[in-house]
Amino acid sequence: MPTETLPEPVLALQMRGIRKAFPGVQALAGVDLDVRRGEVHVLLGENGAGKSTLMKILSGALPRDAGTIEIDGRAAALASPREARGARIAIIHQELALVPEMTVAENIFLGRAPTRFGLLDQPAMVREATTLLSRLGANINPNVLVASLSIAQQQLVEIARALSLDARILIMDEPTSALTERESTRLFATITGLTARGTAIVYISHRLDEIFAIGDRITVLRDGRNVATQEVRQADRRALVRLMANRDVDELVPPTIRTTGKPRLRIEGLSHGSTLHNVSFSVRSGEIVGFAGLLGAGRTEIARAVFGLEPFDQGTVFVDERPVEIRSPRDAIAAGIGFVTEDRKREGLVLSRSVRDNVALPILKRLARLGIVHRTAETAIAESSVRDLNIRTPSVRQLAQNLSGGNQQKIVLAKWLATGARILFLDEPTRGIDVGSKQEIYALINELAAAGVAIVLMSSDLPEVLGLSDRVLVMREGRITGEFTRAEASAERVMACAVGI
Amino acid sequence: MRATLFVRRCVLLAAAVLVTGCNRGADASARPTVALVVKTLNNQFFIDMEAGAKAAADSLGLELIVQAPEREIDVERQMQIVENLIQRKVRVLMLVPNGSKEIVPAVVKANVAKIPVVVVDSRVDDGTLKAAGGTVATFIGSDNEDGGRMAGAYLIERLGGTAKVAILEGVPGHETADARLRGFRRALAGTPAMQIVASQPANMERDQAFNVTQNILQAHPDITALFACNDVMALGALEAIAAAGKGTAISVVGFDAQDDARKAIAEKRMAATIAQNPREMGRLAVLTAHRLLKGESVPTEQPVAISLVR
Amino acid sequence: MMSSATVRRIVRGREAGTAIGLIVLCIGLWIATPYFATAANLSNVAEQSAVIGVIAIGMTFVILTGGIDLSVGSLVALVSVVIGSALQRGVPVFAAVAIGLLAGAVCGALNGLMITRGPLPPFIATLGMMSVARGAALLLSDGRPISGFPDGLRALATSDVLGAPAPVVMMLTLYLLAYLVLTRTVFGRYMYAIGGNEEATALAGVNVRRWKTVVYAISGLSAGVCAVLLVARLNSAQPIAGIGYELDAIAAVVIGGTSLLGGSGSVIGTLIGALIMSVLRNGLNLLGVSSYLQQVAIGVVIIAAVLIDMALRRRVQRSSR
Repeated sequence: MPTETLPEPVLALQMRGIRKAFPGVQALAGVDLDVRRGEVHVLLGENGAGKSTLMKILSGALPRDAGTIEIDGRAAALASPREARGARIAIIHQELALVPEMTVAENIFLGRAPTRFGLLDQPAMVREATTLLSRLGANINPNVLVASLSIAQQQLVEIARALSLDARILIMDEPTSALTERESTRLFATITGLTARGTAIVYISHRLDEIFAIGDRITVLRDGRNVATQEVRQADRRALVRLMANRDVDELVPPTIRTTGKPRLRIEGLSHGSTLHNVSFSVRSGEIVGFAGLLGAGRTEIARAVFGLEPFDQGTVFVDERPVEIRSPRDAIAAGIGFVTEDRKREGLVLSRSVRDNVALPILKRLARLGIVHRTAETAIAESSVRDLNIRTPSVRQLAQNLSGGNQQKIVLAKWLATGARILFLDEPTRGIDVGSKQEIYALINELAAAGVAIVLMSSDLPEVLGLSDRVLVMREGRITGEFTRAEASAERVMACAVGI
Repeated sequence: MRATLFVRRCVLLAAAVLVTGCNRGADASARPTVALVVKTLNNQFFIDMEAGAKAAADSLGLELIVQAPEREIDVERQMQIVENLIQRKVRVLMLVPNGSKEIVPAVVKANVAKIPVVVVDSRVDDGTLKAAGGTVATFIGSDNEDGGRMAGAYLIERLGGTAKVAILEGVPGHETADARLRGFRRALAGTPAMQIVASQPANMERDQAFNVTQNILQAHPDITALFACNDVMALGALEAIAAAGKGTAISVVGFDAQDDARKAIAEKRMAATIAQNPREMGRLAVLTAHRLLKGESVPTEQPVAISLVR
Repeated sequence: MMSSATVRRIVRGREAGTAIGLIVLCIGLWIATPYFATAANLSNVAEQSAVIGVIAIGMTFVILTGGIDLSVGSLVALVSVVIGSALQRGVPVFAAVAIGLLAGAVCGALNGLMITRGPLPPFIATLGMMSVARGAALLLSDGRPISGFPDGLRALATSDVLGAPAPVVMMLTLYLLAYLVLTRTVFGRYMYAIGGNEEATALAGVNVRRWKTVVYAISGLSAGVCAVLLVARLNSAQPIAGIGYELDAIAAVVIGGTSLLGGSGSVIGTLIGALIMSVLRNGLNLLGVSSYLQQVAIGVVIIAAVLIDMALRRRVQRSSR
């Protein structure tokens, strides 16, 4: 055939001089991006560097102001998500875009379900969904509702949906932010399989480890411009971080030495149904206790039970060695407990309200007399939070939804600090947050501990847990299966405990 | 920037309102304006009344405004319309009250503004009006009670004095339907073999009449006569009777002599209806308004003849 | 009473668009008909907006928390009849009104309890209450209007306070109160927070169930106040009063820029929304526009108001990104 004689273009994607402005912000100021066939091209940059905007343009969700895009050597307009899909470009969103009330299989085939005689071919759909999910090593029943899945599982469904599109160019925006090590490993295997078949992958992540594990080339963006493109093999971690932030950031968690005080929080024999079995532990003031474990091992469940969000069958909570009855978040707050939840947008913030309103929400009653809010005091507290936590916002009246992920997380922290919480549960505190902000949050956690707050840290990011915690507790299937001091804890030992070897 | 966009759209909207207004208001200054406020304009009866009034107004050189609330039962809205028309300085107000007592404050407001009130079809409650110190110039309408009596007499004659009778009542507490009902019951009172087995409200609405009749037929499959306080309900009842396969076994009598009812009578599906002649009411109302404008005196009661259509 | 900063915020805020709409409408009518801009007519318009205006306060609260209350129209009828029968039995005016308002608040609180303690969504719970209250009103009155009340009650609708009709003064007072509640009190903050993100608010230790119940009770109470106005105005308590008022109230809230999704909006907007509706109806009456066309016009205004509001919001979001 004559087409075979044509030279195959090596580039799957060529973006040239892409510009995009929002009112008051030049989000992209002429960005170039070349992605070869069968390559994993990592896009690196702090939040606000322009990665998401660039990918939205590539997936047809945003129009560009200027610049050209060529796909397989042919100019492409990509004026709508439909056109992008036609060009076989698929995107896995970091913000999950699934319909909670539909089943896993229905979500995977949303908008293009297999039909037979004009009717939904349910069995075929479930069959294909099962195949896709097992390729990812995900043990998810395609018939259950997405609403019943954990965030990690939802992310896997999102990935399965993208795979089902059989894309030429696949965009992955922090696909592993909620995955366990094992799930991530399976995902990487799948990625390798895809690239072997010529699929080009644009990979966005903040985790340097995985970038070095699977990336081929890296493009670094800063302030809407290209800073560098280089082969992963030749890249240097510290240099990359410097390129992104244009400043030296210690990539590793700074080790701190603290003196810990009396036991602040003690949990005795906490059991609930099949999720928690006889969990006992204590946290001293000034101590950071990390919880490691696979997803669904029961970490979040402990926090929800202690915070009064879920009832539990058995167990006692002691604060300062006195038993406390906790039936609702109100009781927990009164006992000096704060809970930074895993899902910031759903449980942590009222996005449509201001920074001030969010910070003051749990303490409004204290700030009021006869039900009338003392606004000067409210503003003063919010302003001092903004100062202390270095929240980057033009004013405390700015709406929470307009701030970056890192700054939003700081508002959640500020909210609990304002309540005077002396015990803080942090569930995935740095999920979806850029490197620079992560550093600040780590420093903040250390500062809080130094100030005497007892901290329970729950994270899927093992280096984070190991780097921050004074002690590491490992959970498996609702039980604590291991305890390590900072000195003893290592990734291998913790993982062994978590999977039960 | 965003304000200008909004302003532009609002100006467009206002302009649309203006155009409609100016068309109507063009020669209003030359001719005296009178207003007719009816119960609602989604009932053929009042549409006929409007037609009669319009024809008369055109021939007499009067400017006529006809308005009505969206719902027949909405007294508050009718009151607002009257208040607004008083501000519009209409010269005569012709009014079919939605509530015989409730409308009294509005009548008093017209009195204060020295606008004569011509009451049409449904009466304003006399006691309440007197107590509030209000007056009306005249009442134009039929004696609804007499019409009800006529309907009853006809059914007795048609069924030889023996029947099981069902009644569809109007909106409870509303004078027009109540009067019809009173008349009908009075007519039957002298003939014990005319047995009323069911009497239920269907609020003057067709779909409600259909459902109520269906339910009555379940409980009393042996009824042979049905009186509805208006044709709209009678027509709904006819549908329900037909659906139950009762065909012409039940003699249905309505009220108002609407076109659809007349047609049903011609097709022998319906027994009879009482003709109230709303056109004549509308005509007479405008005629009266014209006389009031010229300063002539008018009789306080102007009956409009009713007749049986069968 | 309001600081200059507050005034500035209102002028710059989202209510500005709605207010400009109202002003343009008024100017248009002023040009179109000589009868519009008279003191007597304007006072009528204000009085006519009081009925829906008052219910719309409670509706704004409910919608701000992300709910809906379909029962208010029927509650108007029920409270009317309760007041009417109390007066008939010789209960003094003051006590009859108090009993009526209590009945409204209790029914509203029942709505709230069904929604917060049971699994019922607001739409269903209040739809049920809509029918129950209507039926109760008909039962209590035998389906007949109750009339013939002492003058004390009539005075509520007919007397003047400081040169303005009493219902208008009552409505404006309630709006001022509602404005202060929303902007100054803990309860007000909670309403916005609940509407913005109920889960996060509960997690912040707010007793969401209790406050939501209070919100529905207030909605029932405002239906009660509306019933008092209506009974006084018509000098009659009607079991079929208030049909469709819930939709008019929702329309006023929506025209005023409050999001049906909850979390954003204001009572000032709602007041302007209620005024727009009654000015429009009044103007169309004055112009002698046919009743059919009037309904079309009101529908168009509702849709236009929401479209404009959405366009503005998108613009604001874009510019603040």
